[in-house]
Amino acid sequence: MNSRVITITSGKGGVGKTTTTANIGTALALQGKKVAVVDSDIGLRNLDATLGLENRIVYDLVDVVEGQCRLRQALIKDKRLPELYLLPAAQTRDKNAVNSVQMEQLCQQLRAEFDFVVIDSPAGIEQGFRNAIVGADEIIIVANPEMASVRDADRIIGLVEAAGKPEPRLILNRLRSEMVKRGDMMDVADVLEVLGIDLLGIVPEDEMIIVATNKGEPVVHDKRSRAGRSFLNAAQRIIGKEIPLDEITEVPSLLERLRRFVGFGPALAERRVRS
Amino acid sequence: MGIFSFMSGRKRPTPGELAKERLKVVLVQDRIKVNPELLELIKSDLLTAISHRLDIDEQHVEIRMAREDRWDKLQAEVPIKRQKVSFEWDPPAHTTAVTGLSGKVTVEVEKDDDLE
Repeated sequence: MNSRVITITSGKGGVGKTTTTANIGTALALQGKKVAVVDSDIGLRNLDATLGLENRIVYDLVDVVEGQCRLRQALIKDKRLPELYLLPAAQTRDKNAVNSVQMEQLCQQLRAEFDFVVIDSPAGIEQGFRNAIVGADEIIIVANPEMASVRDADRIIGLVEAAGKPEPRLILNRLRSEMVKRGDMMDVADVLEVLGIDLLGIVPEDEMIIVATNKGEPVVHDKRSRAGRSFLNAAQRIIGKEIPLDEITEVPSLLERLRRFVGFGPALAERRVRS
Repeated sequence: MGIFSFMSGRKRPTPGELAKERLKVVLVQDRIKVNPELLELIKSDLLTAISHRLDIDEQHVEIRMAREDRWDKLQAEVPIKRQKVSFEWDPPAHTTAVTGLSGKVTVEVEKDDDLE
């Protein structure tokens, strides 16, 4: 099987790694792929709750690595998608409970079972981050269009290259186009110019993300969510489909305006909020 | 800014443009100065080059960036293990005619007691 291990990382915390992992993983499964999402943030697990699977955990990643259980016993099947599985992080263990060699072996084991393994990296550039990328074929960097996030992303790009991995791709998350239009926020082109890596997706700021996380259902399930559509597009690009990067255009299409006028669907502009 | 900004003659950068310019500057500094990966690479290059000639204490080699009078400097501290260093002196052709000096040269290096 030609499986791919993809690590989602960012350097800075709170930019949307876990949300991106849950949604890319779910979107790949929606595309008919067999997917494992792995939470490598040991001690601070959150991917389980984002997917709404927090009550089903028996064994975790550390149990598998230490041989306390078999891999299949620790994998939790998604509520909706039969081809989507979660390998949760340990919550009560130290973040140094796993080393790089063990993590690489774990990735090999997962490759045998899945088309895609999507790993949620912890924030930071320490051992946890190194563990998260050691077994990866591809790295996706999540960044927000603000200084601290882009600066950390640049550090991560350097570390990824130093680790001998291919050049990472960028998902620019939480873009507020009305702020960009006013000149109050960096544009997609600005961030790309500074970082010099390829763009995989642009995700607009979207209230529906918080709603979806509250419900424990990734936002890609919600067809009306703009962020959900962006994640779906990014997942399709990962598979190799040619999807134009048109999330940039914030002006609603004629069809969308008509739909809004008639009263179908949500008023998209009103749903975006300041955080 | 506002409506009358055109009167000031010079267009002030928007906060977005400001962020990009500040980022560019800070990233150049990040990439060149405090970059542990680059320093590690330079260190291993140095070790390879020096250890051809000298027996050095690789465990205690230190390399760092420093700043003095607005100039960036690369500082390396390379402790030498062996007390005696010798090498063959084979002068290039154009010097032999002048001095006629050749043969084996031995350099005595004082052992630094602080090292251990």
